[in-house]
Amino acid sequence: MELLEEIIALYAQRADWFAGLLASHIALALTAIVISCSIGLLLGVWTAEHPWAAPPVIGLCNVLYTIPAISLLGILIPFSGIGNKTAVIALTIYGVMPMVRNTYVGLTTLDPDILEAARGMGSTRMQTLLRVKLPMAAGVILAGVRNTVVMTISVAGIASFVGAGGLGVAIYRGITIYNPAMTAAGSILIALLAILCDLALGALERYFKKRGS
Amino acid sequence: MTQPIIRFEGVSKSFGAQAVLRDFSLDVAPGAFLTIIGRSGCGKTTALRLVNGLLTPDAGRVLVQGEDVAGTDPVALRRRIGYAIQSVGLFPHMTVEKNIAYVPSISGLEGWKGAQRQEKAAALLRQVGLEPELARRYPRALSGGQRQRVGIARALAAGPDILLMDEPFGAVDEITRGQLQDEILRIHRESGITILFVTHDISEALKLGTHTLVMDAGQVLQYAPPSQILAQPASPFVEQLVCRSREFQVRE
Repeated sequence: MELLEEIIALYAQRADWFAGLLASHIALALTAIVISCSIGLLLGVWTAEHPWAAPPVIGLCNVLYTIPAISLLGILIPFSGIGNKTAVIALTIYGVMPMVRNTYVGLTTLDPDILEAARGMGSTRMQTLLRVKLPMAAGVILAGVRNTVVMTISVAGIASFVGAGGLGVAIYRGITIYNPAMTAAGSILIALLAILCDLALGALERYFKKRGS
Repeated sequence: MTQPIIRFEGVSKSFGAQAVLRDFSLDVAPGAFLTIIGRSGCGKTTALRLVNGLLTPDAGRVLVQGEDVAGTDPVALRRRIGYAIQSVGLFPHMTVEKNIAYVPSISGLEGWKGAQRQEKAAALLRQVGLEPELARRYPRALSGGQRQRVGIARALAAGPDILLMDEPFGAVDEITRGQLQDEILRIHRESGITILFVTHDISEALKLGTHTLVMDAGQVLQYAPPSQILAQPASPFVEQLVCRSREFQVRE
């Protein structure tokens, strides 16, 4: 309980500082999310339309996904230095994988009879993709977005190890000056942000899944 | 005979080592209602899919309205030919109205926007015996028979000259099937459209067709009006097929 009181006191004392960290955390995560979702969606669509490419692309994404976050950040420092740039690159690499996988799975597990109908009625390949396949796969693709968003928000917490901003700054400072309350205060805000995004995207996902079935 | 609207000229088609059609030739007159019957794997669905270019022949030619299918743009061809399949394949994320308007929409046809689209969809729904109020529903809120009807309305939307139907009533109950058969007969009489209708039900084939084609092992066994098929079966296979429809077999 003592820790909880300390945390609340800390939020009250340094409200502006935490608000600033929260804002930069959101900015950092959002940048990575937009890039990784765009790349992941395009790569997933391309892989689904060219089945021969699926094993190498998905395999590569899986391998990148297994690299521990902290070591990926370390590996990138010689190439992109320290700061937000390195953090965005690392977070993007992580975020691509769930997007590629879900987009690929969503587009390749559609009812073949519906696709046959779309083709037999004279849809071009692009029309089938945009008007039939993507809307029907929207629920599964959105599950990938949700996965990417939640993971990026939480992994962004260690980005301060390479000098990036965000709530990781509070966590890292708490560790170095031995102030557990500060570390916890940063972590709680990250968790709350992730949970809120998860709930909002979950509701959206259920809507699209219902619509596509 | 006037120029056939669909013509198969010595068509052969194999899937791997399996020959599905062998030197298959056939003329279909404009306005005909051709029912195609045979056992599973006899090539009836393959013949249908050759007409709208979903398959290409290994040998021979398929002509639609005098044009070789192999030489035409398959997308443009398919938009001129209605296509209805057993599983219907309605788009689950579109309302009934949008499903019906799909071919006009992808073809960029004029007069399929807003109120006009609503009007045309309502007219098509009435034509297939459904209430226009269904237009705003999604396919998951329809019964099996209603889905089949919407599927037919969708196939007719762009005003095609040819309608291909692959066992369209195979998955509905007996009573609904009878109603759907009456509807399609009426639509055929009213519109003068040419219909190719694949079925494995001989009574359906004889009830609906102006002509019936009996196929076996990728070849034509008999191609004649239903009355002639009943009166003069061309082979023991046809006779057997027809006999079975004359009497019910009751389990002892």
